Amino acid sequence: MAEIEQSPGSSMHGVTGREQSFAFSVASPIVPTDTTAKFALPVDSEHKAKVFKIFSFANPHMRTFHLSWISFFTCFVSTFAAAPLVPIIRDNLNLTKRDIGNAGVASVSGSIFSRLVMGAVCDLLGPRYGCAFLIMLTAPTVFCMSFVSDAGGYLAVRFMIGFSLATFVSCQYWMSTMFNSKIIGLVNGTAAGWGNMGGGATQLIMPLLYDVIRRVGATPFTAWRIAFFIPGWLHVIMGIMVLTLGQDLPDGNLSALQKKGDVAKDKFSKVLWYAITNYRTWIFVLLYGYSMGVELSTDNVIAEYFYDRFDLKLHTAGIIAATFGMANLLARPFGGYASDLAARYFGMRGRLWTLWILQTLGGVFCIWLGRANSLTIAILAMILFSVGAQAACGATFGIIPFISRRSLGIISGLTGAGGNFGSGLTQLVFFTSSTFSTATGLSMMGAMIVCCTLPVTLVHFPQWGSMFLPPSKDMKKSTEEFYYASEWDEDEKQRGLHQQSLKFAENSRSERGKRVASALTPPDSTPAHV
Amino acid sequence: MEPKRYGITILGSLLLFFCMAATCYGIVLFSSLSRTLEVTASFKQGQVLKAGVDKITVTWGLNQSLAAGTDSAYKTIKVKLCYSPVSQVDRAWRKTVDNLAKDKTCQFKIVSRPYDKWNQTFEWKVERDVPSGTYFIRAYAYNSDDIEVAYGQTTDAKKTTNLFDVQAITGRHASLDIASVCFSAFAVLSLLGFFIAEKRRAKLSEQK
Repeated sequence: MAEIEQSPGSSMHGVTGREQSFAFSVASPIVPTDTTAKFALPVDSEHKAKVFKIFSFANPHMRTFHLSWISFFTCFVSTFAAAPLVPIIRDNLNLTKRDIGNAGVASVSGSIFSRLVMGAVCDLLGPRYGCAFLIMLTAPTVFCMSFVSDAGGYLAVRFMIGFSLATFVSCQYWMSTMFNSKIIGLVNGTAAGWGNMGGGATQLIMPLLYDVIRRVGATPFTAWRIAFFIPGWLHVIMGIMVLTLGQDLPDGNLSALQKKGDVAKDKFSKVLWYAITNYRTWIFVLLYGYSMGVELSTDNVIAEYFYDRFDLKLHTAGIIAATFGMANLLARPFGGYASDLAARYFGMRGRLWTLWILQTLGGVFCIWLGRANSLTIAILAMILFSVGAQAACGATFGIIPFISRRSLGIISGLTGAGGNFGSGLTQLVFFTSSTFSTATGLSMMGAMIVCCTLPVTLVHFPQWGSMFLPPSKDMKKSTEEFYYASEWDEDEKQRGLHQQSLKFAENSRSERGKRVASALTPPDSTPAHV
Repeated sequence: MEPKRYGITILGSLLLFFCMAATCYGIVLFSSLSRTLEVTASFKQGQVLKAGVDKITVTWGLNQSLAAGTDSAYKTIKVKLCYSPVSQVDRAWRKTVDNLAKDKTCQFKIVSRPYDKWNQTFEWKVERDVPSGTYFIRAYAYNSDDIEVAYGQTTDAKKTTNLFDVQAITGRHASLDIASVCFSAFAVLSLLGFFIAEKRRAKLSEQK
């Protein structure tokens, strides 16, 4: 099955990669192994790995995986590094709640644009340079924290550091050059989840560093500035490692990649059109804003919240806040797994229900978190909220690949941007003004999550149904082929450009759930899950 | 964590929680305290003090015009630096709350002394971790159970008169700035260096 290389959207192929169920490896008869290649892992004809060995560092495939997710992790660490130190920073810079809130919004807004640009950069320079350029050029912005002396400077620096979150794109793109598309789902899901953990790890790391630096003798208002050097050094170290140890392709040849990428096989305007005219795209943009978006917002406010509300020490608040982000290690893959499991029995309807349940529960626990008056209950509510929200993120990307085959890349990109936009919006509305306390803000955010998850009931696939409606009875419309072929006009169909979509349609029949008589996953590739 | 350890952790935290809850039994309200202490300090109204540099002298003692025996319960005096309403606007972490256990008005301790009938003085250098803002000084009198029983402050009841400003240190240092510039330059230059070197290597190998 030849992939259309470098067509618009292919840079994001495998971002979610849920064409098949998650699998650790691809069995040989389905994708033939290239036995002439001398790699540590079995590879296919493009020399992409067919096996995902998490704890290996073998060059180039697994090494790329680790370089990639750690770079993304580092950028999460630096983007949210200020959050656990806000109690100190707000006194040093004389910030008001409005200043803190605005800076939080700024920290997630920058990457809305940088993620869009990064796709193009990866296409032009390759993911290795895309990643290295971004991570090295944002290192100065992290070091800039030592210059900040007022609210304006603080906001500007956090905005610039936020650009680094575009490493998400280079990370996923790079994975798709190294791993076969049949296992790319698990690989990318793991990389994304482990990268997101950085938002939790930073809540642990920064207060710890601050404590150590203070013990060595620095005053508080200097110690936090010194602490920022560590994320800065991590940027530089990872940048150098990516440049020296990484390679763009399994064969290490960048120019070959550029030669293949010269001809864009699909028209960008068409791909964009089909993405934005599909109403499901926008529903998921909204939904992701209230799963990933609230996760990012909470990363920004939770440490300060625990510090102020329960009078904890800075590093205690940091430890508690860290558990929120660290839950990504398992929660996000769990969401994907739950979606897969539901799909096995109930098809796409199961996936939609799973998403709705997980995200709504997350919202309910968020309401509870704001209401909790005791520390133990607050921690419990926070952990449950984190699992709900992060699993919902995983479950969202269990559905996205099925919205469109032609425009998967752009829809994934728009959804991702929606996550950041949702984060900026919730921080602006609930955590910037002094009209209500942070606790009330959290509860109201929870209520908004519940409301904004309701539109998932409107997502209807004629071939599979929706949460409350069965599939269409119309003989023509109720086929997967009709749905996916409708993204191509007659002229394109005549030229046979829609063949890829038809193949995908055939494979997607698994989304009918138990109604499918024949199993679609090949008998000897076991869908294993993290 | 295995279930057993997890269960014990939960039990432990619940126990800790209940113990902490027990100590909250005595709730002291600021409005219940009587203003019996006279507190004065050596600053002028609106004076700006530099943190880490300037000093002020604080004097406190019982208001002599009160009846004898008012101070029978006073054991310790704690003098604190407190935020004025101006510095509390839009900053909920400095909020004034009647319940003294939750009150965040006075966050910096100047000095703690055993109570003495006669006036006491203390010279205090403004610490380097005091943020910029407008302040007044308040002294609390504690009884032998370490519970507040009385207070005195340099300003009026509305906290609008006789306030002073503190100008905090920036926390910035020339050495930090220089280090920051050096590392940033290193990052950018090493990136460009690698890029150019690789392009050159690619050109050379193509020419071969």
